[in-house]
Amino acid sequence: MYRLALTLTAAGACAAGSAMAQDRAAALTTYADIAEAAYADSLSTAERLKEAIATLVETPSPQALQAAKEAWLQSRVPYQQTEVYRFGNPIVDDWEGKVNAWPLDEGLIDYVAFGGATDENAYGDLNVIATPTFTLSGQEVDASVITPALLEDTLQEADANEANVATGYHAIEFLLWGQDLNGTGPGAGQRPWTDYAQGEACTNGNCDRRAEYLEAAADLLVLDLQDMVAAWGADGEARKAVTADTDAGLRAILTGMGSLAYGELAGQRMKLGLMLNDPEEEHDCFSDNTHNAAFYDGLGIRNVYLGSYTRVDGTVVEGPSLSELVAAADPEVDALLRADLDATMEALRRIKTAAEAGFSWDMMLARGSDAGEALIMGGVDALVKQTRGVERAVRVLDLGDVTLEGSDSLDNAAAVFE
Amino acid sequence: MKHLAAALVLCCATPAVAGVDEVIDTHILPGMDAFAEASAKLSDTAASDCTAEAVRPAYQSAFDAWMGVSHLTIGPLEQGGRLLAIAFWPDAKGAGARTLGQMIATEDPAVDSPEAFADVSVAARGFFALDRLLYEDPYEAGSYTCKLVQAVAADLSRMAGEVDAEWHDSFAETLRTAGEPGNDRFLTRDEAVQALFTLLGTGLEVDHSQRLGRPMGTFERPRPERAEARRSGRSLRNVVLSLQALRRMADALADQPIPQTDEAFANALDAADFDDPVFAGAADPMGRFKLEALQQAIDTASRAVDGELGAQLGVTAGFNSLDGD
Repeated sequence: MYRLALTLTAAGACAAGSAMAQDRAAALTTYADIAEAAYADSLSTAERLKEAIATLVETPSPQALQAAKEAWLQSRVPYQQTEVYRFGNPIVDDWEGKVNAWPLDEGLIDYVAFGGATDENAYGDLNVIATPTFTLSGQEVDASVITPALLEDTLQEADANEANVATGYHAIEFLLWGQDLNGTGPGAGQRPWTDYAQGEACTNGNCDRRAEYLEAAADLLVLDLQDMVAAWGADGEARKAVTADTDAGLRAILTGMGSLAYGELAGQRMKLGLMLNDPEEEHDCFSDNTHNAAFYDGLGIRNVYLGSYTRVDGTVVEGPSLSELVAAADPEVDALLRADLDATMEALRRIKTAAEAGFSWDMMLARGSDAGEALIMGGVDALVKQTRGVERAVRVLDLGDVTLEGSDSLDNAAAVFE
Repeated sequence: MKHLAAALVLCCATPAVAGVDEVIDTHILPGMDAFAEASAKLSDTAASDCTAEAVRPAYQSAFDAWMGVSHLTIGPLEQGGRLLAIAFWPDAKGAGARTLGQMIATEDPAVDSPEAFADVSVAARGFFALDRLLYEDPYEAGSYTCKLVQAVAADLSRMAGEVDAEWHDSFAETLRTAGEPGNDRFLTRDEAVQALFTLLGTGLEVDHSQRLGRPMGTFERPRPERAEARRSGRSLRNVVLSLQALRRMADALADQPIPQTDEAFANALDAADFDDPVFAGAADPMGRFKLEALQQAIDTASRAVDGELGAQLGVTAGFNSLDGD
């Protein structure tokens, strides 16, 4: 019966073709509008972060460091909700590494208490803040002044290694919090504010260079986010790419939803860290903000499906949604997927609630922590289940192969059909 | 019109029963039985003599059996992260060396209790822990490392037995009853077909982008030290065994001849017929050429699976765990 139903749906779609095409185009516009708003919110909160960092550098104090940390935490709320745009949109995916690359070998950047060079990464102990000149992959590098260009062009992915992360949110997070030395016990990184004090009060050396690095990283973050806001603007490349072909655009939405939920969040960021019992595997490992990173990833996925995003100023961007398209094709598939998305948010909220009450993500990873394992696996299982709902949505919208960015296999399949 | 044509083909040319039963009966269940049996033998061997010389042959046989099922990552292998605990690779941050080193240095008492060992980091469990322990630093009978080898082998055998039992007791039935009332895992028959089809494509992607792609690195920066299970000399063997298993699965899943797919698998296996067991040649132009040719042949097999078998079954691949970074 399922095949027959599919046939009727497809035949019906041909008759009602133009109305359906309009609905599909409208849902894509909503998707692009949410992207533009969420990246604009990421930008405005990053600008506040940059100001707070400028204050910290000019007048270092415990309060100034705390204010910068709070600005960083706020900036993560809108940014994490944009992660759903990453995997379906090559323009975003190519850019993303500059702002949110993870995990990182932070010994590249500054002093560390553990970690350092490994078989996999010879530059894991470079410590550029303490090292004005060094040799990198056979090239002499002059790092006497730490500039955005040095970070972006020389240090980022140095030696063709993705663990060499020199820019973006996590580099800034490390420079504000420092390494979390508490393992799977309570507490985040405890970098002293005096790491930015100038003159005699400076701790851990090179405070001037550390400040220079932090400001360069904040400058770059703002510049990179400006690019992405523009890419989703009225004439932006990313908006054009996703709206050029409605079926390909819808596939991009669903690819982003499924890839973030399943392979990336449930797999790499949640299950792997749990199975390794390794606090270094938590996404925001310096600040212990991982519960929010996961929660707002989940919320971003739900936003694009329901076609509604609440901005950082409280206003709402909404419009015709993918959910409505799926409901028109098969109400049951839509209802199941909405229920799955809600169940995921509930599972991620449980993690967030426990973490905010003091049972942080890294404590959940401890060997033998049954409660922590149950919390994290609850999130993993919900994300895996919702991904099956996303696959169903792909089928009822008759979009073909969602996981392939190229169209080769679609072309091949079409050739076989002919 | 393309939609309509596609729908008609789906409706009329595809029998309702693709080879789900055949995949279960001829591929999955026998493969899981063999894996459980070989793992039990490994555990028994280690229990009676845990020295590296004694354990290595049983380890190699168990790893061979694992390669027959390592792509079957739904259901029992997905539950509780067992896949990672059985085969934690790739290990991009060197967690294996670090965690095993800590356990040995502190003589972690988890080796004395199967329950406690089941909670140990996956970096110190499964085949890749044994790859290091049996082939890296020599150890004495009666040493802590020797006990650790026994604990890893016993833990592996326990998991293999559980996975095999769960396939027989429940998950095979869940697949067979796809679309029937009460089955909330697979709401339609197509969902079961798609799930199995997705495993095929994912298996080929693992061979292409991880087993070959990681040691190949880039032309400027090859990474032969990243080859899978290189200490025990299994990198190429694993690709060959994986391709053989995936070919068997494709044939079982198809309900009509799939000549393009068969040919592509045969070509890939031919391309894998060279003498470089741990991909050391990734770093030199001649050796690299062979790896690239093999990678390309696997890519061709992926396209054949998508274009020919996928079209025949009326499904496309779903999401897999490699999506993302």
